[in-house]
Amino acid sequence: MDIDSKEEDGFRVLLKQGAEARVFESTFMGRRSIIKERFSKKYRHPTLDSKLTLKRLNAEARCMTKARRLGVATPALYAVDPLLHTLTFEYIEGPSVKDVLLDFGLTGVVEERINDIAGQIGNAIGKLHDGGLVHGDLTTSNMLLQSSTNNLVLIDFGLSFTSTLSEDKAVDLYVLERALISMHSSCGNVMDRILVAYRKSSKQWCATLNKLAQVLRSWLPTA
Amino acid sequence: MKEFRVNGSTLTLALFTQATNSKELLESMQAGTLEPEVAFLNASLIPDVFPVLAAAHKTILAKSRDMLTTRTLHSELVYNYSGSKHITESLKRCGISEDSSYILAARFDASPDELTAIEKLIHGKKIDLDELEGRANKAQIQKHYKISGQELGISSLADAIACRIAARDAL
Repeated sequence: MDIDSKEEDGFRVLLKQGAEARVFESTFMGRRSIIKERFSKKYRHPTLDSKLTLKRLNAEARCMTKARRLGVATPALYAVDPLLHTLTFEYIEGPSVKDVLLDFGLTGVVEERINDIAGQIGNAIGKLHDGGLVHGDLTTSNMLLQSSTNNLVLIDFGLSFTSTLSEDKAVDLYVLERALISMHSSCGNVMDRILVAYRKSSKQWCATLNKLAQVLRSWLPTA
Repeated sequence: MKEFRVNGSTLTLALFTQATNSKELLESMQAGTLEPEVAFLNASLIPDVFPVLAAAHKTILAKSRDMLTTRTLHSELVYNYSGSKHITESLKRCGISEDSSYILAARFDASPDELTAIEKLIHGKKIDLDELEGRANKAQIQKHYKISGQELGISSLADAIACRIAARDAL
C-alpha cells in the first residue's frame, strides 16, 4: 500500500495583517492554501464579539461560494472553522490587478492587456450584480490574475452581501471608480472600459448606471 | 488502497467495483455489527479524493471537539461528504444502497489487521483510486450538489464539491 508522502498540514506563514483578520499561507490536504483568521476585538463585549465574528465569517463563506455558483472565479473554499474563526481556501498564484496596473504606470500601458483585464472585471461584476451579490470592497488589490490562465479571480468577500437594490450595486461600482482614480490614473480611463463590459454582462446595467450617475452627483463635494 | 494524513489521523481509502454483497454490508452497518467500522461511500459521486479529504478533515475536527452530528465517526464522513444538512437523505445518497456495486471504503486510523479485514469485507474487485475521475457520474453529481454549467466554467467538479462541503454549516 502507498502512503501519501505529502507534507503534513500545519505550518503557517503570516502574509498580511488587516484590521479585521490575519492572512496566513499554509497547506490543506496537500494543497497550497490561504487561512484567513478573524480575530476578536478586545474592546467589544465578548458575547457580542464572538457573535459578530461568526456571523461575518459565515457570510464571507456564503458569498464566496455564491460568486462561484454565478460563474465568477473566486478561490475554492476548503474549510470553515466556526471555533477558531478561520476560513481556509485555495491559494491563487499570480499578481494582483493593482500590481499589474502600477507596473503599467511605470513601464507603459499594454493596451491589449489592459482591455482584457478591464473586460474581465466588468464581466465579473456584471455577473455578481445580476445574481444579487454585491462585493462591497472592489479595489484592484482584491482582484488577482491567475498566472496559469490570466483569468481574473476576485478575493476578499469580507464586506459582501446580497442585495437587489440598484443603489447598492452603484455604490459597488463607485468604490471601484474611486480606487482606480486614486491609484491608477496613469493607465487612462480604465473605468469606462470596465463599464463597457459591465453593460454587456449585466441585464440590469441601465438601472445600475443611472443610479451610479445619481450617486456621483450626490456624493461629489461640489454638488 | 491508499493512506492519507488528515489532521494527525490517517484515512485509508480503497475503491471497489463489481461488489456483490452491498445488501449484507448495509444490513450489518445499520445493525452496528460491522467489524471493523468502515464508511462506505457511493463512489459514483466522487470524481477525486480531494473532496473526500475535505470531508474527512471536517469529520476529524468535529470528533476532536466532541461535536459529531451522527452516531459514529464513519457515518459522519458520509454525512459530511454530502454537503447537505439532511442526515437520512445524505446517508442514503452518499452511502451505499442494497444494489450498489461501485463503492469507496474509508477507515480512519486503520491498523494493518483492520486493513486486511476491510478487504475481505467487500466481495468485489479492488481498483486504483485513479479510476475515480473516469468512473464518476457527472450528471448525478451536478444534480446532487446543484452545480450549474456556469459554475463549471470556472471550477473543477472536485472543487465545486469541496466548496459545498466546507460551506454547508455556514448556510
